[in-house]
Amino acid sequence: MGKKMIKRHTAVSIFMHWFNAVCWFFLLATGVGLIRNSDLDPIGGWWPSMIRGIFGGGENLLLAHVICGSIWIAVFLVFAVVRLRKEVRFFIREIFTFSPVNDIRWIIKKGIQMTMGYKMLERLGFEPKIPEQGFYNVGQKLFAIPAMLGSIVIAATGIIMYSSKFMMMDPVVVQWSVLVHFVMSGVVFAGLLIHIYMASIATGELPALLSMFTGTVPEEYAEHHHKYWYDKINGNSKGCFNRR
Amino acid sequence: MVIDSARCFDCKACIIACQIANGVPPGSYRNWIKGATVGDFGKMHFQPGNCMHCENPTCVKACPTGATYRDERDGTVKVNDGLCINCGSCIPACPYGARYRHPEKKVVDKCNFCEEHRARDESPACVQVCPTRARIFGNILDPASDIAHLLKTNKTVKVINQTTDTKPNISFITETAPMDWPVEAKSPAYFDLWRKIVGPLVKGFVGIAGLGVLVMLGKQLLISDQPPASEHKKSKEDLHG
Repeated sequence: MGKKMIKRHTAVSIFMHWFNAVCWFFLLATGVGLIRNSDLDPIGGWWPSMIRGIFGGGENLLLAHVICGSIWIAVFLVFAVVRLRKEVRFFIREIFTFSPVNDIRWIIKKGIQMTMGYKMLERLGFEPKIPEQGFYNVGQKLFAIPAMLGSIVIAATGIIMYSSKFMMMDPVVVQWSVLVHFVMSGVVFAGLLIHIYMASIATGELPALLSMFTGTVPEEYAEHHHKYWYDKINGNSKGCFNRR
Repeated sequence: MVIDSARCFDCKACIIACQIANGVPPGSYRNWIKGATVGDFGKMHFQPGNCMHCENPTCVKACPTGATYRDERDGTVKVNDGLCINCGSCIPACPYGARYRHPEKKVVDKCNFCEEHRARDESPACVQVCPTRARIFGNILDPASDIAHLLKTNKTVKVINQTTDTKPNISFITETAPMDWPVEAKSPAYFDLWRKIVGPLVKGFVGIAGLGVLVMLGKQLLISDQPPASEHKKSKEDLHG
């Protein structure tokens, strides 16, 4: 149709997204493999056995996990500093900005629509129109916040655990770090499953997935899914994200 | 290992030999000599000891990473230094207090029956230096060994904590004292919370998310749900209006 495309993500954002995705999957696979204890392992002993076999022993697995984790932390630290003005500040501001009434309406209506369909939405007396949203919808924000804060906690507890191999720390601190590391990884992973579905499989989200490669979305999509953002970049461009 | 504690006179050669052979720093110990007064005249009885290399090692069960494990080849309980994160979970899980955090290696350290010595067909350091041969080392699984013969021809006892029987593998000839010093094996608070509450919660949370996604995917494949025409119209109007 020769649709007009709107810039949504910078090349650096796209790189960071996929870099993070690769790191997360590697860290998750190796991390679950590091729990070898029949009282604690979340998916059974077969996974640690298999992954330790692949890496040639638990000590190598730990090393691989730590190296990947260190690269992940280092790259994000550099990103946070170098690109603070370009992407990071915008991202943080966006994900922590809510418009409560509108967002709650969005959650209720989108929830009904996704699980029971538009017909049910009408039958329950709602207008079929899903409330307008900004650069991120509230669902995206509710994943982005635990993903970002969880990542910080996971990184910090990971650093504590590995530092324990180089300096004598209070064992209680190390022990609780292990548990917090595990819990936060589980929480972020649960969110990640929903993120993957919503962003790549759910109906009507193909433009969003493609934009994670091309950086652009069709104008129509931007208007339909992120009206407030669309209006902002079309009306006054003050504080907008649309840079070239 | 079999120990004839009646022969021990508390010379502590085994403790020093162990520290030297295994780089155990001053103030830390892989082995010990306990003392008790026995009989009506307050006679001292000394009891050498070290890791009991238990059949049912509670320390192994307390390790989150599997860094502490029972080597099925020789029955010893070992620590994989590369995998140990020095969290110390295993330390209260040993009823015998046989583990400590090594201040230089920054891992949990314990007796391994001098693995390097055994690789050279030598006895562990503590056994080699004992002047009265109170410590007797051998393969208890080999029926032809001296130690198996010793176990067969003597009455032996084991020092066991009544609440936590870890099935220790060190026997004492005839009788020994003290008998009541091992403590109950304890797992750290975080471990119990993880095992009982947090683990199932996290699994449930991820499971519900995964299940939800699968149900949505199934629904999406089976039922097509289009927004009503009215919404289409409305959005078109908005676009141009």
